[in-house]
Amino acid sequence: MTRDRAVFLGILAVSLAAGAWLAAARGRVVPERQVTGRPIQVADSGYVSSQTCQACHPSQYASWHRSYHRTMTQVATPDTVAARFDGVLESRAGKLWASVPREAALQSSLQSPTRSRVSGDTSEAEVWAPVVMTTGSHHQQIYWYETGNSRVLGQLPVIWLTADQKWIPRRAALMAPPSAHAMPETGAWNGVCVACHTTNGRPGFDTPFGSQPIVTQTADTNAAEFGIACESCHGPAAEHAERNRSPLRRYSLHFTGVADTTIVQPQRLDPIRGSQVCGQCHSFWEFSDAQAERRANSAGLPYRPGDDLAATRLIVQPTTNLESPRIRELLAVDPGFVRDIFWSDGMVRATGREYNGLIESPCFTRATDAKRTLTCFSCHTMHKTPDDGRSLDEWADDQLAANADGNRACESCHPNSTTHSHHRPDSPGSSCYNCHMPFTTYGLLKTIRSHQISSPSVQASLDTGRPNACNLCHLDQTLAWTAGVLKEWYATPTPALDDDDRNVAASLVWLLRGDAGQRAIVAQSMGWSAAQQASGTGWMTPYLALLQKDSYDAVRYIAARSVKTLPEFHRDQLPRGHPHLLIKSDGTFDAEIVNRLVRARDNRRVIYRE
Amino acid sequence: MIDYAQRHLRFGWWSLLLFASLGLTLEALHGFKVRAYVDTSNETRRLVWTLAHAHGIGLALVHIAFGLMLRVAPDTGAGSAPAISAALVAASVLLPGGFFLGGIAFYAGDPGVGIALVPVGAASLLYAVFTIARGTTSARRRP
Repeated sequence: MTRDRAVFLGILAVSLAAGAWLAAARGRVVPERQVTGRPIQVADSGYVSSQTCQACHPSQYASWHRSYHRTMTQVATPDTVAARFDGVLESRAGKLWASVPREAALQSSLQSPTRSRVSGDTSEAEVWAPVVMTTGSHHQQIYWYETGNSRVLGQLPVIWLTADQKWIPRRAALMAPPSAHAMPETGAWNGVCVACHTTNGRPGFDTPFGSQPIVTQTADTNAAEFGIACESCHGPAAEHAERNRSPLRRYSLHFTGVADTTIVQPQRLDPIRGSQVCGQCHSFWEFSDAQAERRANSAGLPYRPGDDLAATRLIVQPTTNLESPRIRELLAVDPGFVRDIFWSDGMVRATGREYNGLIESPCFTRATDAKRTLTCFSCHTMHKTPDDGRSLDEWADDQLAANADGNRACESCHPNSTTHSHHRPDSPGSSCYNCHMPFTTYGLLKTIRSHQISSPSVQASLDTGRPNACNLCHLDQTLAWTAGVLKEWYATPTPALDDDDRNVAASLVWLLRGDAGQRAIVAQSMGWSAAQQASGTGWMTPYLALLQKDSYDAVRYIAARSVKTLPEFHRDQLPRGHPHLLIKSDGTFDAEIVNRLVRARDNRRVIYRE
Repeated sequence: MIDYAQRHLRFGWWSLLLFASLGLTLEALHGFKVRAYVDTSNETRRLVWTLAHAHGIGLALVHIAFGLMLRVAPDTGAGSAPAISAALVAASVLLPGGFFLGGIAFYAGDPGVGIALVPVGAASLLYAVFTIARGTTSARRRP
């Protein structure tokens, strides 16, 4: 062997060794189909996954990749976990672990914890389970661990609040009374979350989910892709990808502008079918019958984008189908079935059900022209457009279209909004959204805008208890004041009002006498800068302090958050002699009225199905 | 008689200047974060303009190498010089030009119609390279 050849072979050997070391350092990647203990991603049945879409649609892929739709469900890794590793979660040897309470471990049939840590007292034994999946990332993140039973997941009893950067009990994140039974969460991902938090999720339960204790069930849960990916909205794309491998076909479509029939483009569908693509998840629906439910918790939901959503499930719409046999049947089992989601006039009050609000909106129901019919895409866009100057992060917050972040969204159909509002043009009172989409929907420890377009109505507030837009901003004013203004500006008839409605600020009536949902809405409004500007802040702290003793965790949390937005409270700065705010001329509160209203509080059980 | 060596040296150096300038321009577009170039919606433009720059530079160097080869070993490609020269010039225009035009207007992940020039340029380049390679083989065999 010559010297040169020996040198060459030496370099080759060193290179190969370095390559092997680097490959090993990257960690062993287990093929998805070989993963056990958690649901897996299997792109079949016509699905190809976003990785295939990326090649031809890089821009759309990039904006989707930044969206919270993508990160709704992720395999848990140090990169995808938003929480701190601070004792609740630990990262060791390439795996994530969480301390699961012994009781939860028993309930979830945790069969083979790989590791356990026992403190001095054996009764305080902790079970450590591998954390394998996460849900959410925008506002909260929920963590799921292997139970050891097939692909059934258990849920950590604590969740991570992204904005606050802290853990809270899972139960405290939901609007539910302390007396409510804890929801059984083991298997919930496989049976419930999988439907909307993945693409073409298939629960794969051997027996109907919920029909027997989860410990006796097994689930071979899988999805085409975790998170809400391209094919959730565009439908299965295998045929589209296959046929468009031909550049001749692609350029023919480019030049002619003809729609590609091998894929669904939601915005090209008619307004109803297009919005139903969003409504497949953003609506409150139920299975049409037990057979449909059984099929779904085995093979997944049959709906595909472009289908008629109502053909395969029952969209709950109290204004039209409250008396239907199926809803009556559901109400017989659960009297809160409708009440926990809707105000008494049928307007949605829980978040995540925006489609129900849309289809009750006059801009949808009264539209006669498809081009001028309100759809989800009138305001939202799932892909940031090239003319949108915002960053991807800004766009991703609500995925609003470039022209929808203000009155322009409405002005294409409703010009002259400034004179119509009777407010200063640059003030929050001139925002179409603030008056016609007030923050009367609740979820994720905050209020969000109602997606049912409506006009402020004192009568509706009296009938349903739902705060109206005027009094959510003018927190220091009475319902009588609002009725007078609406009569003067819009000739709205004034309804009959009782003494409290005439003499006490509406916000305080709802805060002191209202149910937990109303209290949460008012507490949130007190932290809203527009309402603080309109109403002053000097009087709010004592009332928010009252709500910080509320029996509902969610109400206490929101009240505490709102207090932090207020200036430091000084008793001597209370606005004296303000009877609407129940503050007497000597600067003391009218305890008699406050106590009377609190005694009359609506203590009905409030549980929101978020 | 055409001095092909001089022609390709001249073409190569001017071409190198042109595509190096394009490279500088692309760096400036990055540096000033020009949205028409750096936005995620313009990924296709970024890709094909980068390809135009890279192919233009590479081909400019090929022209210089070919010119030097004709100076150092004039017999190597003498017989086919006109055809090789034409093919190399065509490749230098069509390949980077096609990529550049394809990035001016495009369809999502598909470049604009100018990309159709690229395979023609690639064929010209392959023809030129093959002819040069064959010429070097023949020259070596000659006594």
